[in-house]
Amino acid sequence: MTAPAIRLRGIHKHFGAAHVLRGIDLDAQTGDVVSIIGSSGSGKSTLLRCIPFLEQADSGEISVGDAGITLGQPGARLTRPDRAAIRAIRSRVGFVFQNFNLWPHLTALGNVMEVPVHVQKRPKAEVRAEAEAMLEKVGLSHRRDAYPAQLSGGQQQRVAIARALAIRPQALLFDEPTSALDPELVGEVLAVIRSLAEEGRTMILVTHEMGFARHVSTKAIFLHGGLVEEAGPPAQVFGDPHSERCRRFVAGLGIAAP
Amino acid sequence: MDAAFLLAVLQTLLAGVPLTIGLTLLALAGGGLLALVLAGLRASSRVGAALADAYVFVFRGSPLLIQIFMIYYGLPQFGFIRHSVLWPLLREPYVCAALAFMLNDAAYTSEILRGGLRAVPRGAVEAAVVGNMRRRTIMRRIVLPLAVRQALPAYGIEITSMLKSTSLASVVTLMDVTGVARSLVSETYRAIEVFGAAALIYLVLVTATTAAVRALERHLSIRPAERPAPRSAPA
Repeated sequence: MTAPAIRLRGIHKHFGAAHVLRGIDLDAQTGDVVSIIGSSGSGKSTLLRCIPFLEQADSGEISVGDAGITLGQPGARLTRPDRAAIRAIRSRVGFVFQNFNLWPHLTALGNVMEVPVHVQKRPKAEVRAEAEAMLEKVGLSHRRDAYPAQLSGGQQQRVAIARALAIRPQALLFDEPTSALDPELVGEVLAVIRSLAEEGRTMILVTHEMGFARHVSTKAIFLHGGLVEEAGPPAQVFGDPHSERCRRFVAGLGIAAP
Repeated sequence: MDAAFLLAVLQTLLAGVPLTIGLTLLALAGGGLLALVLAGLRASSRVGAALADAYVFVFRGSPLLIQIFMIYYGLPQFGFIRHSVLWPLLREPYVCAALAFMLNDAAYTSEILRGGLRAVPRGAVEAAVVGNMRRRTIMRRIVLPLAVRQALPAYGIEITSMLKSTSLASVVTLMDVTGVARSLVSETYRAIEVFGAAALIYLVLVTATTAAVRALERHLSIRPAERPAPRSAPA
């Protein structure tokens, strides 16, 4: 009926001779929380980074809402409409990095306000009010004037989530958002992500937190060797997968050599 | 030692201070602009990077005094320079010295800038890219503010070093602090007092510059201490 919020078709990506994505399809409907799991090297972070063109896929289709692009010939230069489409896609997604990637010379509030003010050119007073509300939402309004170096990892990641929300995205992309955190700080970040899921936000989540992913997701995908090895409702992927590799992976056994 | 004499010397030498400061500021302004051009050249292409490297190699690798001599005594050898519209400028020792200082400062400043740029975290740029910032905005809002903070301590050293290097201007007849001191010595033959007083003036200028740069560093600090940090030595 409605177009998916995020739709990927036939995504291929090489790094030199390595063929890291071998034709991946993914659909997220509005309100979906899609978890992508798989061992390191399975291509899951690369896939996520291909959506806002932090990596440029070699071929395939990428669309977010009504913005979309088809990448045809590998090595072909991006045309002007392609670049416009990429900008449109980027303006529709909020991206949360594994290493937070806050701007160290800006305060927490400054980080959240930067893109709305200097890229989206929205009125500063309005942005400020909204940014303060975003920091409140992630439980950090009392730290609005702190610089990233003064915040714990968990706090930095929550600021990064507020920053991603501030652009008013249609979807949020999380690239292993808790992997760089000390274990005792993981919970506060997951709590924020869970509350966003409960709000009905469309999200794609690359994660190693199996229990969490199973709990919050509406859909899960297991990647292996650059291919979708298993996809379905979390109960299937985490509980009763068809793939033997997926079964071993979710059981925490690692993946046997092929 | 004769206090009255020293005081009189200091007073005379102060007349050279505006020229010393003027040459320093000109060198830093021209050298800074040229350093930005070199940074752009370095980022533009392999050939551009090679040119920038060659420039830095030559100007950092040879004595500043030789560079001044080559510009002041060397350029007039070329007929086309003597006949160019720039000749009235290029025969002025002030212009030649300032030019040499700028060219020399640019080499050092571009290296300092390069170090600052290299220290900008890749992730900060990636976050700007997904935020849809255009290249110019990324430069202006993210990369340069971070690079400048990183480069500021090293640049402070370059400022004081250039301040002291301007004393070389005296060899091409300019009456900066050192120039005035040399002429005083030839009149009075009291080298210790006169050059000592000149050194004192440079010391004061350098100390003031260092303090100003420190203050700027503190002001731009992205990690202001929330609690006073324990200090091993008084600041």
